[in-house]
Amino acid sequence: MLFRMIRGVLFHQKGKMLLIALTIALGASLATGMLNVVLGVEEKVNKELKNYGANIVVKPKDSSLLSDIYDVGGGAELNTAYLREDELGKLKTIFWAFNIVDFTPFLDTQVQVADNAAASLTGTWFNHHLDLPTGESLDAGIVGMRSWWDITEGRWLDEKDANASGEIMAGAALAAQYGWHAGDIIRLKGNQGEKDVTIAGIYDAGGDEDEQLYATLDLVQALTGRENEVASIEVSALTTPDNELARRAAKNPAALSSRDYETWYCTAYVSAICYQIQEVITGSVASAVRKVAESEGTILDKTKLLMILITALSLVGSALGISNLVTASVMERSKEIGLLKAIGARDRSITGVVMTEILITALLGFAAGYVMGFGFAQLIGHSVFGSSIQMDPKVAPIVAGLIALVTVAGSLPAIRMVLRLRPAEVLHGGH
Amino acid sequence: MFLRMITASLLRRRSRMLIALLSIGIGATILAGLVTIYVDVPRQMGAQFRSYGANMLVLPAEGTVMERDGLADALEKIPPDEVIGATPYRYVRLDMTSRQQSFTAAGTDFSQVPKTSPYFSIEGNYPEHTREVLAGKKIAETIGLKTGSTMELTYQPAARTEAVSPEDSRVPGAELAGNAEGFGGGIVYVSVKLDDHGAVAALEIDAGTQTPEYGGRTAEDEGFLGQFIGKTLPLTLGEDVDALSGATVTSEAVVQAVNSARKAEKAAKPQTLSFTVTGILTTGGEEEEYLFISLEDMKTLTGSEQLDVAELSVSAPAEQLEAYAEAISQENGAVRARLVKRVTRSEASVLEKLTALVFLVTLVVLLLTMICVSTTMMAVVSERRREIGLRKALGASDGSIRAEFLGEGLFLGLLGGLMGGILGFVFAQAVSVNVFGASITFQPLLLPAAILVSMVIAALSCLLPIKRAVAVDPAIVLKGE
Repeated sequence: MLFRMIRGVLFHQKGKMLLIALTIALGASLATGMLNVVLGVEEKVNKELKNYGANIVVKPKDSSLLSDIYDVGGGAELNTAYLREDELGKLKTIFWAFNIVDFTPFLDTQVQVADNAAASLTGTWFNHHLDLPTGESLDAGIVGMRSWWDITEGRWLDEKDANASGEIMAGAALAAQYGWHAGDIIRLKGNQGEKDVTIAGIYDAGGDEDEQLYATLDLVQALTGRENEVASIEVSALTTPDNELARRAAKNPAALSSRDYETWYCTAYVSAICYQIQEVITGSVASAVRKVAESEGTILDKTKLLMILITALSLVGSALGISNLVTASVMERSKEIGLLKAIGARDRSITGVVMTEILITALLGFAAGYVMGFGFAQLIGHSVFGSSIQMDPKVAPIVAGLIALVTVAGSLPAIRMVLRLRPAEVLHGGH
Repeated sequence: MFLRMITASLLRRRSRMLIALLSIGIGATILAGLVTIYVDVPRQMGAQFRSYGANMLVLPAEGTVMERDGLADALEKIPPDEVIGATPYRYVRLDMTSRQQSFTAAGTDFSQVPKTSPYFSIEGNYPEHTREVLAGKKIAETIGLKTGSTMELTYQPAARTEAVSPEDSRVPGAELAGNAEGFGGGIVYVSVKLDDHGAVAALEIDAGTQTPEYGGRTAEDEGFLGQFIGKTLPLTLGEDVDALSGATVTSEAVVQAVNSARKAEKAAKPQTLSFTVTGILTTGGEEEEYLFISLEDMKTLTGSEQLDVAELSVSAPAEQLEAYAEAISQENGAVRARLVKRVTRSEASVLEKLTALVFLVTLVVLLLTMICVSTTMMAVVSERRREIGLRKALGASDGSIRAEFLGEGLFLGLLGGLMGGILGFVFAQAVSVNVFGASITFQPLLLPAAILVSMVIAALSCLLPIKRAVAVDPAIVLKGE
């Protein structure tokens, strides 16, 4: 009997039930989409913030302030400690290896260009291909870490090119000073030899780099006679905004209790990643570039909070919308309920029938809405960040619970209200 | 009559109308709230991005000296509420008396530093008075400074930073001294003796800071030194004097030093001040290798108020920043402004993504909410099919029924829109205060817009069910099928 009645409602009042299902589907899709976006937004925005460049700098532990303190020239010549280039691959073996987005080594020196002056030359990786001990491989280098450089002439130096070590890139200011153009050949004179190189490209960095030269690490190592040595490493890592624990840990990890230590070590705080880098790179000190790390935290937090509040608004909106409609549909059926009561149905069974109908409709609406919501999340992910948003398994039960709650909250009081009325009044039509 | 019918119908069907009104109200609240947030997000988020530090630099133009007045003039080109902070810097080398070491010291305005460099992390406090110093962490570690330590810093006036009048260097028979920056920043010192005709009689070079096998040879190379003798100042490298091969930079420095040589005793006396460390600075950047002192102390030490650079943090989009930089550089001959591309470029790209995100989210939410509102309205209206049938049976024309329902819908739209417009602003304000800690500006246009959209949606969602109800034969409607 119950089944037949429900089926009757579902099939005969298709129009009305479809309307309810549609509204619930829309609400559910909104909730699904927004929750997925909110849960995925941190990762996406974090990736975007990598535009600002490295947030960790690794330097040799014993790198002294010598050149600075004694005001002596020569930069690299007095820098007594170096890191080892062959250890760089280890960066991708730390606990948070997955969060290391990009990294590049630097080795700088002074060279004499042509016959007239000195210039600072930095050796680095551009798009260096690296085969990791884990069997993976990746391309790392400054091409990905200097997104704000404009190549005004020529192109980025390409390390995959066979004669890459015979090329350099010149800063716009320096190139303008000497009248260099892409394709020109200039002679570099370092303290361990000299070499003719071709200018592959000229870049405008809008900073000090505009007065420098950049070349492959191999070239600079050859010019300075520093085989396998690098002076510093810049690392771009995805991090979790610092909290109180991270700040305590940054000062002295040894002072933490073993449980705190574990939490800290296994969270992608910038200080934890620095610590892990120090563990794999011999004689290194990794420090967070606060300018980048701190700001990333602020912006991530704000974005997340903003999205959460917008999501909350849309959730409340769709919840109210759904319960509103459900109430309306129950009240609309007051005559039918009155009739059921008049022919002797008990309140409980009437409530049961109406609720079952509505919940079945809600379930259908939820199923459709979840699929639509998936679509919305992907639409947003692809059009804003150009990558898909991971669907969080938590979202389905949250949305389902929410819809159930909202439907019940919208229909139950309405049913009660209608039931309280006397059947005669309801059937008469004037309340 | 028409009005009375509408109001009567509204009153009679309070509960149903309440539902419709609520639904429109929610729709309008979301509309007004989200649009307000969307409009305000770039500005608010932009302010957050200022935590990356300065995005504009004001520098003295080629061959001029910038003082605080020049900076103030430059700042006038930017609306004051967009300037988050403007920090002047003057960099000099100071000698630490007790250790015979020299450090880079930056004279600055400490009230502005936290504004342009919010990422500075300080153990201790910013200096508040003169004779206080903020020490970079690396320096502190190297020489063992702690909060409360004291040190004496001396400024050695260097001729190379001051303009020298030619007359000063033409005193016949006098022993003159000069210096200039050579290879890698090392200083080359010279002593010059002029004869009675103002020509160089003797020259001595101290190139100890230069690489011995290159620049260092200038001090001993007879051929190189000989070129100076008998020539009148100022000299030009390549004309009067040929560079020593392999030591171009040092040769240039020697020539500059000779040209700048002046009476030794005329140079200003070294100034020494005693400082107390109030804090240790950690940034993870090169600032950790500097000492920061107040501009007042810098003036006492160096005797000049010149500035090397001013860092500006301006809350404005990239194109606007470029316009400001242009205006400063053009209208003020003494200074030029440059954007910090790393910051502006990255900010523009991240902000663009964020704005697009909020835009899409707003769009999706609005679309769905509006559909929800219309389904509710439709449900409420189609419930009244019987009433419509009855009216029709009594002889009401389709047009009058339509007009009545439409009027009702519009009225609800107006009321709901008004309610939502206000609630939406309250919501947006709450978001803004919670997320950004700043209040939002009320968009006066948004209220009429919210009302208009609500009215249109309410009217549209009434039309369909009315059309259907009107089209049906009243007898069938009344029968209840």
